[in-house]
Amino acid sequence: MVRKSVLLVDDDAVFVDAVSAVLETRYQVRTAANGHEALAAIAAAAPDIVVLDVMMDHLSEGFDVARALRSNETTRAIPIVMLTGVDEVFNVRMEIGESWFPYDRYLQKPVAPETLLATLGELLG
Amino acid sequence: MRLTVKGAELHQIFAAELLDRVAWFVRLRWAAGAALLVFAAAAPSAGMPLAWARVWLVAVAVLAYNGALHALLAGWRRNGQANYRWLARCTLTQILIDLAALVFLVYLTGGAASPFLPFFTFHMVIGTIMLSARAMFAVAAAVWLACAALFLGGAEALGHLPIPLEMRAAVLGVLACALGLTVYLTDTVASQLKERGVRLFRLAEELRDKTAELEKLLAEMRAIEARKSHFMLLSAHQLRSPLATVKTSLDVLRQGYVDPASPRASGLILGASERVDGLLRIVGDLLELAKLREAMKRAPWASGVNLAQLAVDVADALTPLAEARQITLESSYEADVVLARGVPPDLEYAIENLVHNALKYSRPGGAVHLHVRRSGGFGVLEVRDNGIGIPPEFLASLFVEFARAPNARRHTAEGTGLGLAIVKEVAEAHGGRVEAESRLGEGSTFRLVLPLQGGQTLDPRVTKSERRVTA
Repeated sequence: MVRKSVLLVDDDAVFVDAVSAVLETRYQVRTAANGHEALAAIAAAAPDIVVLDVMMDHLSEGFDVARALRSNETTRAIPIVMLTGVDEVFNVRMEIGESWFPYDRYLQKPVAPETLLATLGELLG
Repeated sequence: MRLTVKGAELHQIFAAELLDRVAWFVRLRWAAGAALLVFAAAAPSAGMPLAWARVWLVAVAVLAYNGALHALLAGWRRNGQANYRWLARCTLTQILIDLAALVFLVYLTGGAASPFLPFFTFHMVIGTIMLSARAMFAVAAAVWLACAALFLGGAEALGHLPIPLEMRAAVLGVLACALGLTVYLTDTVASQLKERGVRLFRLAEELRDKTAELEKLLAEMRAIEARKSHFMLLSAHQLRSPLATVKTSLDVLRQGYVDPASPRASGLILGASERVDGLLRIVGDLLELAKLREAMKRAPWASGVNLAQLAVDVADALTPLAEARQITLESSYEADVVLARGVPPDLEYAIENLVHNALKYSRPGGAVHLHVRRSGGFGVLEVRDNGIGIPPEFLASLFVEFARAPNARRHTAEGTGLGLAIVKEVAEAHGGRVEAESRLGEGSTFRLVLPLQGGQTLDPRVTKSERRVTA
């Protein structure tokens, strides 16, 4: 069976390495350090799921990526898991209005490895 | 009555008051006119002299001009043209007409023996309240002269009983005293009341100003409070992110996702350790910033602080770091640049921060220049590098806590985003400012501008640290 692919996007290299170690037990993992890299990686080969940090170079960079994915026909269906530091999800959600959330799940950092795996397992079926 | 206070607003208030009073007198005058009509109608049947019946003439005249006045006031009220000068003139005119009518009434009803004589004092009171005492003394004199002419000329022609001359002279004497005293006493009381009114008005004005001031202060305090909680939120985030990395790394290692003997495991341990170092730096800078903002906890002020000496000390201390990074660190200074007063540890911290930044954001082989000079009444410490530079759009938020440009972050994980906020705090505490200029990819120049003489500080409007972009 071919392993499903995960794109992990976070600007903290150590965090990326640690989370990769967890995800690699079940998935094929690619990483990106910012929004641009993430969009480029997705354009090159669409992953089965994206795990996105919210606050990278810009305050809501993760949201920008998620929005870009959701507004594109070919990437709309890719599930998105948001990782947040404090409560950016709440803050950004207030900003963009409550009607539309460009993600499927959000998890607050630090996230326990088993929680992350369970969330991804649930979304990928 | 003296109107000692000038001011359009005060006039506006008095005009409104005057308008109300004039309107009240118009209402009174309707009653007076009506009473005179009744009086005139009743006089013949009561066996009064024939002339008394002619009082209806006075009544009709009073009612007629009162009607005109009523219409005039209604017009003013509608147009909101309650001009103080116009009202005062109108008041004088109606008082004069009223008095003329009264003089005629007195003449018709027996001259020196007229029962209407006491009404003169009533009119004097009203006139003095509404106009000035000086004007009313003149009016009283005119009234008295008119009465004197009529009394002495004799009212017998109208069929009244003859009154001995000495009796008429006595009535005139008493009338003169009554008119003069009434004006004088009324003016004294009215002036006191008016002064009290003016004082109240001034107090109300002061209260309004103070309230506005307090509201402004409150708004400022609320803004400060909002900035503080935003800062708290940012601080929490800045602390939580690396903590999350440390925690996740430890979980991954503890739960066996990574072989403890593998290079990846040591990488995670090293990474976690670096994040802890970063956390410690953030905590240190936060403490430093809190100390600077809490004047009580600040190191003591010293007099005669040599800025050039501080710069040389910092350059010496950082030379090994520069060498390790293969960056040339040069310092130069013009004579002694001595600040009248300063907090040496804080200044040293700020200079060190600027030089450290320059080293941090320079590439191997780069050069950092530290230069101290005098410029006008200011000491200028300049740190120039040919490093990675600052994106123009980022210059505006350069001195904001936790703000780090994306290229700075990519260049090095080291850096708390608090250093320049601290430098700005130090500069402003010394009555100076910090400026930054930069070209992306070519380098940056930071300038600490501090007043040399005691007491001389920068214009507060420009004390705010400037950011300048070199095109």
